[in-house]
Amino acid sequence: MLGRAAYKVKGGKLIKVQLTSEGKKIKNIKITGDFFLHPEEVIDDIEQTLEGRLLDEQELSRLIRAVLTSKKAVSLGVRPEDFARCIMMAGEKNE
Amino acid sequence: MSEKWRLLDTGLNDAFYNMALDEAIVIARSKNLVPNTIRFFRWSPSAVSIGYFQSMEEEVDIKACDEMGIDYIRRRTGGGAVYHDTEGELTYSIIVDENHRLISRDFQETYRTLCSGLVLGLRQLGVPAEFKPINDIVARGKKISGNAQTRGMSIVHQHGTILRKVDPALMFKVLKVPSEKIRDKLIRSVEERVTSINDVLGRDVSFRELKDALIKGFEDSFGIKLMPGSITDFEEDLAQRLKVEKYASRKWNFRR
Repeated sequence: MLGRAAYKVKGGKLIKVQLTSEGKKIKNIKITGDFFLHPEEVIDDIEQTLEGRLLDEQELSRLIRAVLTSKKAVSLGVRPEDFARCIMMAGEKNE
Repeated sequence: MSEKWRLLDTGLNDAFYNMALDEAIVIARSKNLVPNTIRFFRWSPSAVSIGYFQSMEEEVDIKACDEMGIDYIRRRTGGGAVYHDTEGELTYSIIVDENHRLISRDFQETYRTLCSGLVLGLRQLGVPAEFKPINDIVARGKKISGNAQTRGMSIVHQHGTILRKVDPALMFKVLKVPSEKIRDKLIRSVEERVTSINDVLGRDVSFRELKDALIKGFEDSFGIKLMPGSITDFEEDLAQRLKVEKYASRKWNFRR
């Protein structure tokens, strides 16, 4: 089953998530949108980190924040909790 | 003596060369082969560019583009999809060392500083332009310019578009709409949110006049002197290679 969601951050940018899940776990995930993330390649690290993880909003947000910190990356127009919110929306549609 | 930057006007080129040349200039700047640079360029054929993180299939009506002979390309910068009409818009790039006095560690602050050159230039023309965070310039509350920035190799690269005239109906022929039912609504919403220099001034502003105003805006705002120059052989060779190997490739353009 495939889940999709789009989430517009108030005063910010648009995030789109497409994912497949098994039970409550993320199997594959693709994050797209018109946001900014520097360096850009960190989006691949975020997606890889999230694969196999539980659909738990706080935990997803924490994991994404940890990737940004470890890669010295910054986002503009979106925050880790916004990505997490959109992922949960896509996960819920998947059930 | 004010600080000298290079001014390039590379005229009309296709999307793949345009984006390849931007990256080639960034690489040349990072190797200290060229000075800080401001480049003006246009797109022929007209093209759609999408942000680094966007999905080509989701954002662009590929069939419509193919039928109309419009190119589509992924940028190295984030942000949204832009329709670059050959006659309707001017594109610029700023390529500057990350350690330059104009550059802040904060991206938002740097957008404001670099966009101030455009704002001042547009005001010279009589357009009441203002910077609107995150990355837009507006006139009378409507968007007239969109901008996108990235960093790497110790270089800041910002490029953006300035609308000279705008055709929202054409814009939504090349961009995907969620459903045909809401196409008209989207067109009306763009008409309400987007404007152009010709709309604001009520006359036809030439590219020459626009570029001259922006040059003055950049010089006064940045405290620099723009020296008309040309691209180096290094940049041209690298641009040709990046065009073939990266920007014209399906792998790059359809990677997300």
